[in-house]
Amino acid sequence: MNWILRANLKRRKARLALTIGGIAVGVATLFALLSFSAGISTALERELDSLGAHIIVLPIGCPYSLTLSLMQGADTVEYIDETSLPQFRAVDNVQIAAPVVVGRAKVNGTLTPIYGTDMQTSQLKSWNLATFDGAVVGSKVATDLKLAVGDTINVSLYAPITTQVVKVLPVTGGRDDTFIFLPLADAQKVLALQGKLSAVLVRTADVSRVSETRTALGHIMGVQAIPPNEVFDTLVGILATVRQTMILIAGIAIAVGVFTTMNTMIMSVQERRREIGLLRAVGATRHEVFNLFLTESVVVSAIGGVVGLGIGYLATLLLPRASGMGLDAPPQYSLAFVGICLLVAITVGAVSAVYPAMMAARIQPIRALREL
Amino acid sequence: MIIELKKVSKRYGQNGVGFWAVRDADFRVSSGDFVSIVGPSGSGKSSLLHLVGCLDRPTSGSILVDGVAIEKLSDAELSHVRRERIGFVFQQFYLNDAMTALQNVLLPLELARVKGRVELARAALADVGLCGKERSYPSQLSGGEQQRCAIARALVNSPEILLADEPTGSLDSESGKNVLELMECLHATRGLALVIVTHDPSVAARAKTHVVIHDGRMQ
Repeated sequence: MNWILRANLKRRKARLALTIGGIAVGVATLFALLSFSAGISTALERELDSLGAHIIVLPIGCPYSLTLSLMQGADTVEYIDETSLPQFRAVDNVQIAAPVVVGRAKVNGTLTPIYGTDMQTSQLKSWNLATFDGAVVGSKVATDLKLAVGDTINVSLYAPITTQVVKVLPVTGGRDDTFIFLPLADAQKVLALQGKLSAVLVRTADVSRVSETRTALGHIMGVQAIPPNEVFDTLVGILATVRQTMILIAGIAIAVGVFTTMNTMIMSVQERRREIGLLRAVGATRHEVFNLFLTESVVVSAIGGVVGLGIGYLATLLLPRASGMGLDAPPQYSLAFVGICLLVAITVGAVSAVYPAMMAARIQPIRALREL
Repeated sequence: MIIELKKVSKRYGQNGVGFWAVRDADFRVSSGDFVSIVGPSGSGKSSLLHLVGCLDRPTSGSILVDGVAIEKLSDAELSHVRRERIGFVFQQFYLNDAMTALQNVLLPLELARVKGRVELARAALADVGLCGKERSYPSQLSGGEQQRCAIARALVNSPEILLADEPTGSLDSESGKNVLELMECLHATRGLALVIVTHDPSVAARAKTHVVIHDGRMQ
C-alpha cells in the first residue's frame, strides 16, 4: 500500500508541508527543551563536582545563590570572617578546609573572574603544585589573554598586584577554565576583601561521616554548611519546575499539532469521499479504509517528527545558552530524546487520525459515488 | 456465479422524507448473461445496479450471491465479494488523478494482495488497448482511454460479472462505440456476465436481455 500512500501525499503538497510544519514546531520545541535541560543539569553537576568539596561552608544567606556566585566568580555581599578558618579546620573529620574568595578584576586590562585560595585548593583540585606563589590560569583565560607559564600579569581592581603565571591548567570543560587562581592574600588585596572569605571548601577524611561533620560546621557562628549534592538537588528541582512549565508550553504546541492534523485529515476525508466510495466499490473493507487514513496521518506526523528533530537540533546550536543559570551549559543530546520526540510525533499522528479515519470508514460507497 | 434479487425494495431517506428507488424487484443474472437496464432518469436503474453489485443492501427482500443471502454477510465479507467477483464501470470513470493508469488498475490487486500484480495490471491495460499508457495520468488520457482504464481496473481481478453504469454516457459517439465493443468482446471471450445501465437505445439493443424500469418498478 506504500505507493497508494505516496500518491495521496503527493496530491496536496502545500497542505502536506503545512501539516508537517505544524508537527515539526511542537517536536522541535520539545527536543530543544529536553536537550537544554539535560545540558544545564549536566553542567551544574560538573561545576559542583569541580569544586572538589564534600561540604561547602558559606556565609549566612541564600545558599543556592551563594553557591552559584561561587561557581561563576561573581561578587557577593555576604562573607565569612577569615579568622574562623582555624575553627573549621579543627572540626573532627575535616581533612581539608580551603578558603576561597571570588570576584572580578582586570587582568592585563581584561575583566576576568579571579579566585583567591591557598595550597589546600591545590590538593582539592589535584594541581600538583609545590608552592602556590603565583597565578594558576584556567585554559580558556590562558588562550584568550595569550598567557603562558612565566608570563607576568597585572591584576587590578581596588589595588594592583603584579604576579607571574606558575601554571596553566589543562582544559576541564568547566568554570575552572575561565578563572585565574591567585594566592588568597593577593586576591583579597585586589578585591579589597582583606580578612573576608566567600566560602570554605571542605573535604572530609571519612565520607560516610559527612552528615555529622556538616552539622558540626554549621554550629560555628555566622556560617552554614551545605553538601554540594544538596545544592544540586535543589537547583535541579528549580530547573525541573521551569522545565515543567516549558513542557506545558511544548504540550500546547503539540496539542495545536493534533488539532491541525485532525483538521487536515477531516478535510482530506471530505475531499476524498469519491475516492473512498470507489475504494469501497472495488472491495476495500471499512478496516482497510480506516488503516489507509491512519497510516497516512502517522507517516505525515513521523515526517513532521524527523523535520522537527532537525529544527530542534539547529535551534539548540543557534539559540543563546541564556537559560543555564550563568553556567556554560551546552545542550546535551540523547537517543532517548530522539525516541521520545518521534514517539510523540507518531502518537500525535495516530490520535489525530482516529476520528477522521472512522469518518472515512463509515462512508457508504453508494452515497459517496452519488454525491457527484 | 448467480446473483438473484427476490422481491427487493430499496428506500432512501428517513423520518417520512424519502422515496422508493426500487420496488419489489425480481432479477437474476448468471455467468455469460448480457443484460441492459433501461429507463428514464431517476427511474431506479443505477440503484438496481448497485443492489446487484452488492454495493448497497436492500430495505426489504433478499439478494442471493450463489445462494447466499447478503444480509447474512458482514461488511468485510461483502467487500470481499465485490473485490473478487464483481467489477464496476461508472459513467465518470472515477480514476484517481494522483495515480498513473497502471496504479489505478493496480488498486484492486493491491487490496487483494495478489502476487505478480504489476504484471497482471500491465496485461489488463494491454487487453483494453492501453499498452504504452501505463505511466500516463488520467489528465493525460482522452475520455475513451480513461474509460478503458476504468474497464481494465474492473477486470483486473478477473471478476465473473461486470456492472456498467452508463459507461458511454461521458464519451463522444466514436469513443462510446469503441468502449462498448471492447466490453462486448470481453463478454464474449471471457464468458463474463455483463449488466449495462443505459439511456441509449442503441446500447441497450446490443444486450440479449432487456430490463425496463420505471419509478423503481421493473416492467
